[in-house]
Amino acid sequence: MALTIISLIKQVPLPSEMRMGEDGLMDRTKAKSIINIDCTFGLEAGLQLKKQNPDARLIVCSMGPGSFDVALRTAISMGYDEAYLLSDRKLGGSDTYATGLAIATMLRHLGFSKDSKEPYIVLAGRQTSDGDTAHVPSQVAENLGIPQATFVESVKADGEGNVVAKRIIEGGYQMMKLPMPCMISLTPTGIPPRKPSLSGAIRARHLKITTFGIDDIGLGTEKIGINGSPTIVAKVVNIVSERPPITMSEGHNEASMVDSLIANLKKGGNVIVKKEDVAKKETERPDFPEKDFREGSRGILTWAEITNGTVSRPSLELLTPARNLATQLGEGTKVMTLMIGKNIAHLAQIMIEHGSDEVIVVEDDKLEEYLVLPFSSIFEQVIKARKPEIALFAATTSGRELAPRIGMKTDSGVTADCTGLEIGEYIDRKEKVIYTPILESRRPTYGESKLATILGFVCPQISTARAGTFEVPKRVENRKGIISTFKPVLKEKNFVVEILKTVRGGGGLQNLFEADIIVSGGRGTTNDSLGLIKGLSDALNSQGVNAEWACSRPVVDEGVVEYARQVGQTGKTIRPKLYIAVGISGAIQHIAGMKESEKIIAIDHNPKANIFHNADFGIVGEYQDILPELIDRVKAGFTFGIVPKK
Amino acid sequence: MSKVDTVSTDVLIIGGGPSGLATAIHLADTLKKNGQSQKIMLIEKGSSIGAHILSGAVIKADVFKELLPDVEFSEIPFNAKVTRDQTVLLSEKRHFTLPFHIPYMNNKDNYIASLGQLCRYLAVKAEEKGVEIYPGFAVDEILYRDGKVIGAKTKDTGIDHNGNQLENFQAGTRVEAKITIFAEGTRGSLAKMLIQKFDLTKGHNEQVYSLGCKEVWSVPKGNIEAGQVYHTMGYPLNNDEFGGGFIYGLNDNKVAVGLVVGLDYKDPSFDVHDAMQIWKTTPYVSRILKGGKLVEYGAKTLPEGGYYAIPKLYVDNALIVGDSAGFLTMPALKGVHLAIKSGMLAAQTAANALANNDTSEKSLQQYETLVNNSMIYKDMYPVRNFRQAFESGLFFGGIQFGTQLITGGAGFLGRLRSHPDYQSTQKLSEYKKKPFKERFKGKLEFDKVLTFDKATDIYHSGVYHDEQQVVHLHIKDQEKFNAINIEQYGAPEQFFCSSEVYELHINKDGKKELRIHAENCMHCKTCDIKSPGDRITWVVPNGGNGPDFQNM
Repeated sequence: MALTIISLIKQVPLPSEMRMGEDGLMDRTKAKSIINIDCTFGLEAGLQLKKQNPDARLIVCSMGPGSFDVALRTAISMGYDEAYLLSDRKLGGSDTYATGLAIATMLRHLGFSKDSKEPYIVLAGRQTSDGDTAHVPSQVAENLGIPQATFVESVKADGEGNVVAKRIIEGGYQMMKLPMPCMISLTPTGIPPRKPSLSGAIRARHLKITTFGIDDIGLGTEKIGINGSPTIVAKVVNIVSERPPITMSEGHNEASMVDSLIANLKKGGNVIVKKEDVAKKETERPDFPEKDFREGSRGILTWAEITNGTVSRPSLELLTPARNLATQLGEGTKVMTLMIGKNIAHLAQIMIEHGSDEVIVVEDDKLEEYLVLPFSSIFEQVIKARKPEIALFAATTSGRELAPRIGMKTDSGVTADCTGLEIGEYIDRKEKVIYTPILESRRPTYGESKLATILGFVCPQISTARAGTFEVPKRVENRKGIISTFKPVLKEKNFVVEILKTVRGGGGLQNLFEADIIVSGGRGTTNDSLGLIKGLSDALNSQGVNAEWACSRPVVDEGVVEYARQVGQTGKTIRPKLYIAVGISGAIQHIAGMKESEKIIAIDHNPKANIFHNADFGIVGEYQDILPELIDRVKAGFTFGIVPKK
Repeated sequence: MSKVDTVSTDVLIIGGGPSGLATAIHLADTLKKNGQSQKIMLIEKGSSIGAHILSGAVIKADVFKELLPDVEFSEIPFNAKVTRDQTVLLSEKRHFTLPFHIPYMNNKDNYIASLGQLCRYLAVKAEEKGVEIYPGFAVDEILYRDGKVIGAKTKDTGIDHNGNQLENFQAGTRVEAKITIFAEGTRGSLAKMLIQKFDLTKGHNEQVYSLGCKEVWSVPKGNIEAGQVYHTMGYPLNNDEFGGGFIYGLNDNKVAVGLVVGLDYKDPSFDVHDAMQIWKTTPYVSRILKGGKLVEYGAKTLPEGGYYAIPKLYVDNALIVGDSAGFLTMPALKGVHLAIKSGMLAAQTAANALANNDTSEKSLQQYETLVNNSMIYKDMYPVRNFRQAFESGLFFGGIQFGTQLITGGAGFLGRLRSHPDYQSTQKLSEYKKKPFKERFKGKLEFDKVLTFDKATDIYHSGVYHDEQQVVHLHIKDQEKFNAINIEQYGAPEQFFCSSEVYELHINKDGKKELRIHAENCMHCKTCDIKSPGDRITWVVPNGGNGPDFQNM
């Protein structure tokens, strides 16, 4: 019973290292294509599995234009055996729903379905850098009808037909056991991809890659491409940087560098000169008939995610856009919240007091821990019963796998990781009709450089909202609402995945939201296990400043720090008054997690580090030299202009 | 997957520059003509062909017709034919155009080109002829059997800073070949090992080098026309420093500018990159760059020891071609045509050897004979003493060069010896003239419009190195390095490096330490050449690492 390992990969433009064009803007046309970073971790996970199972067959699959050939051959040169490409012009414009469907169809064509006799594991990257949705793995799994684990860091086969995966969750991790076949999507925090070998490259050069068109795999045109996609991108605008150019410290040693920094802080750094917006001519709203496509669906459904026996903060934040949308929709639109767990009914009133009109409680002993299969099934049943027009999830690790799995069941498609949710309308000039009201989901994309507005035309319109973006609505004591219960049908097959262990670190996350100063250390600061980072934070605290310390991803990877202190992983955004980034290169995810900070100081030895493009003040130097100096200054009373509380 | 695979080929070419690609093309053609069918494999350390290629470049183009007889000459992507060619004597504020050409420096009928682009073109041609080209792989070991070269091995990857294997360890691949051709370019790291192992410089001069820093700019229309070639002598160099500037007009209102300086200079604080920035501030140069924008930066050394510094070119089963062998002619600093020619001659030799099934040293000796009967000899022999003459400074060098011109290259002193460049550097206490920083006081504040610090310049080189690997710059004896290079010489590494790899850090207590930022490395090899006491060895980093030149 030979094991087959299937890696799904996508080729994307190189997100960093893009050259500055002559106009000073990033030149995307010159950007090279690479295998999406997360996907390369999937590829490596497959090669690691092969180490334990030397007889395993390694397959790599992709969907895209013929130029993806390069990515597939790279996978072969790393050690894969076979490559398949689904390539058809009719697939152009597919959203994540249609993509998931197409890929699942190709896998079935290759002989991999939920009823396959031979065991197999599908590996994928968590998300792609040009889409950032993290939907496709969930959607492929749902379409194939196999269990899944997303946001997985490492994976092992247990030799008994199961896969043991370490899944990253907020504040910790989970060990899960999944029966094969199953889908695993990998975060870029596990074992980094190996480099190709020359012998592999020679094999790749001579290997034939099988390319399928949609006819070859029996995929109809109605469900793919633009026609088969329940969502569309309605508008993309540039995100203009709100941060003025950096002021660099000058000096010949750490003391003079720090003097320079203090002087710069006093001066206040650069300010951005805002250009007056040229008033754009509003195109006239055409006199087309209005169409309400909701077909009787009404109300907004949110999910109350329970962690550590309490409602998670992002689920409370979600009630802000939910209430706002309800107001915009009018007609007494209700905000409903679904709460799933064991002994949780007492938490329902909290949701009401934060803004829910009705809390639907599902309780069962088997539902103590979140599991995507039963939870998505329960949602499907509640949606069928209640017919909400909109369903909102916090973009947590759970929300981001649950929403797309549900979207596949309801044929709705999903918009991921939104930072803006508004009710609007869509003028279809081809069909001469105005769709209204419609949910406009706005989300940053292309490495946070663009803001895309996504529309869905199938109810419920599903979106996930980035944690930290919206405020938690004020709690109104004794606010009235309905608390109801729902009894779903729970099938045994939805409980095939076993959670072996859940580990959550304490504190961390919450404190990061409340600190005035966050001192954050990157890969460059692990020599002393972040001793100097903590030292600066401690020194500030002894001065009466509310300071915390945090870190970037590689530090967590190296096992130096618990996941909860990681900035910029699962879309949580912190916004302290001052963020001090030390030895952090400035990966896009990290920047996304901290760029809302009022002021940012960057300290790194590499003057080219991306972090310097996203900071107000900078020092080029080794942290071992600069931080002791800074700590001395803090001990002498310097607090970066933040007024101590005491 | 962590086991070492062995693959085999008939001919292995290490390096995808002009010499390696010419070897590949001409060998493929010759084998085909002879009805032989043998496998040719070419490995290149750059992420793609051209990524590590940098040259001026004004090229003697005739050799391309010889290399590609079936190709329409106009198809070859040269940039522009030379239309004007002047040599200018510079001072800080003024210039004087020489009314004549310095002998051997006439560029009539030559072409300006991006050598990187030419190499990309040659690579396509080579692939069409059946050559297998593998860019992105570093070769760090020569394989021997019974003391004879039998191929080479690519570098192991997936190794941490300390040399330990990581979970994603990927063993290198052994490539066994009947003939291995070393075409690594200037100061090739394997060629250096080969030369040492077989003592191939015995009875020859030491190779000496120049460092060239180059920028490509996009300038407003009218600043310079495509095809215009200007060379400058003089400022900012003085009598101790051999070299000069170049300004080449390219298509699309681009211009290539650069400064080349012999690495036999004495001042331990001399900085070629910074000297180039100062050179750009002269009115003569700045008027051409005015209103323009920096597009690309790069740096590379050039072997300029000339004829007497060419090592023995062959051993059993192996040949050395191109810059690795030192095929470059002075004072024109031209090597591309010689690189290509040497590749073709090596190909001819290899084809014969394969046909006779004899790849022994004796059989491969034919290569040397061919070189000595070719235009390589004709170009290099008359100027065989040129560079050595200038070790004594420009003035006496000029006199000697004059006598060489009269005597057909011999001069009145016969064969002039040369010394490794690192021996020329003087200690802080020995160097009595104004050190670089004082000499150009007030001129080293770079405005980031016309002049750039190294950090800004290297940003325009696309340089990248994997974090997880052993630092590829090895200090041979750290204690001696601290005591001599830092204390006595003032760490010249921090100045001569073209890309801010070396930083002398002095902490509050005055403790000095050389820090290595290997990720900036431009692969110019200057540190391997110029570090006092020969204390730094440049080892090839992971394949695909290094600069990513587009049009250099």
